[in-house]
Amino acid sequence: MKARKILIRLAVLAALIGVAAWMMVIGRGHTVYLDNKSVEYNGQEYKAFYRVEAAVKGEEKPLRMDARDRVSTICIGQSLHLDLTVTDEKDGQPRSLSVDLKLPYNMDGPILNLPALLNGLPQEAWLDEFIPAPPSEEPEDVELGDEFGGGLGLEGDDVGAIMDA
Amino acid sequence: MTNKKSFGQKALGLLRGNTVPLMFIVICGICIYLSGFSWSYLLNQVITRMGRNVFLMLSLLIPIMAGMGLNFGMTLGAMAGEIALILVADWQIWGIPGVVLAMLLSIPLSVLMGLMCGKLMNLARGREMITGYILNYFVGGLYQFVVLFMMGSVIPITHSTLKLPRGYGIRTTTDLSNMRQCLDNQWAITVGGVKIPLLTFAIIALLCLFIVWFRRTKLGQDMRAVGQDMEVARDAGIKVERTRIISIVISTVFAGFGMIIYCQNIGNFPTYTAHTQIGMFCIAALLVGGASVERASIGNVFLGVILFHTMFIVAPKAGQSLTASPQIGEYFRVFVSYGVITLALIMYEAKKRRAKSGTGALLAQAQKAQKEEGGARA
Repeated sequence: MKARKILIRLAVLAALIGVAAWMMVIGRGHTVYLDNKSVEYNGQEYKAFYRVEAAVKGEEKPLRMDARDRVSTICIGQSLHLDLTVTDEKDGQPRSLSVDLKLPYNMDGPILNLPALLNGLPQEAWLDEFIPAPPSEEPEDVELGDEFGGGLGLEGDDVGAIMDA
Repeated sequence: MTNKKSFGQKALGLLRGNTVPLMFIVICGICIYLSGFSWSYLLNQVITRMGRNVFLMLSLLIPIMAGMGLNFGMTLGAMAGEIALILVADWQIWGIPGVVLAMLLSIPLSVLMGLMCGKLMNLARGREMITGYILNYFVGGLYQFVVLFMMGSVIPITHSTLKLPRGYGIRTTTDLSNMRQCLDNQWAITVGGVKIPLLTFAIIALLCLFIVWFRRTKLGQDMRAVGQDMEVARDAGIKVERTRIISIVISTVFAGFGMIIYCQNIGNFPTYTAHTQIGMFCIAALLVGGASVERASIGNVFLGVILFHTMFIVAPKAGQSLTASPQIGEYFRVFVSYGVITLALIMYEAKKRRAKSGTGALLAQAQKAQKEEGGARA
């Protein structure tokens, strides 16, 4: 009876750990930057497209990029699906294509260079990481409330008030 | 004549039993009239705040059932939820998976803190509320130590947007914009301009069902027995201390979940102060809903959250229209809200004494009758 109880508890614990691991995979968020910029690889230049429109799940409108533009979108999970409408040159005929990518788990802000990606270059040519500028280095005072560790209670639903403001 | 009297007595009993909610209904009615807010605005606000607060308040019901009074120790669960949220924000787990992961992470922390709190409350039997209240300050210090000194130095925190510029410790506000209202927006419907967060309400409904089911289980019945009389429960073979600890652990775990739901609704939280008043607000709202130290129901939770938060919404505007200063309304709200806690506690004590003296009078009457009967026989 005791062994059965321990077994059930271990099974529940394993299930919880499994769910947590699954959440870590499907919930990993990335800010994806799409670049329509010329790129040079192995001495060859791949020119930016005249215009690219990228339809991404979660965005109301397709993201429009002219040559040398960068746009950003968010992606939750490791798979990114892009429906692209590419116009190679001015007055050119737009062509539609779909791209499915696996995003690296440990990269917060992957930058995808579309000319390199669509020309079939290896990953190192079209994938880079966006490193944000460090936030302000001004020292931040940590407010710990009054000497008893709490506020006076006059702030009410203070967290809500911050958002309402 | 007798019927009339009994009706009057019934009405008086009803009034006596529901003084606090009735008082609040009257005050809210006056403030709504003075504030001039539209009904759709008010409904929107109240429903948003219901989704935000009800889960936290429901976590208070189980310790009341076990006779441990209003669990001020729920703040410990809120702290566990906040630590889990900081970690999830650093790991960049967004949306509903982020909320679920934070809930799972908060469980071991909440259980640990609940165990500690339950054991302490067993040592301070009869003084559970004040023990829980003071325990918050002690654990608040530990929380500050962990978040202000250990995170970033001992506990890895990689994102500089979370860390203080000195390289360790968490900033005063933790940003949760990537999971903001992810539960509330899922399956949300709009009826007559009022947004109803169906998923959040479904989660709340699940907890309500759990509480209803739990009351009927063996453990739930044990808790009720312990709540009614500890000595009788012990004589009946119930492990009183263990039962009380379990009730506090369950409450702390649910409080952790509640805090996560609360913070995802707002989209950020003040790292060092978000939990400080949460217990007080939830307890005040529960008392406003007509609960007492030894009796609370799911209905009290819903009525309390509606009345207490209606007061939150309308009081500043009512104050502004009365005195041209919203601050007066805010002071008034604080005065009334905390006054209600005091009043509810005093009324509970008075009721207890009245019941005691009533029982004493009945006993004296019975003894007198017995004496007279004995005298007559002699």
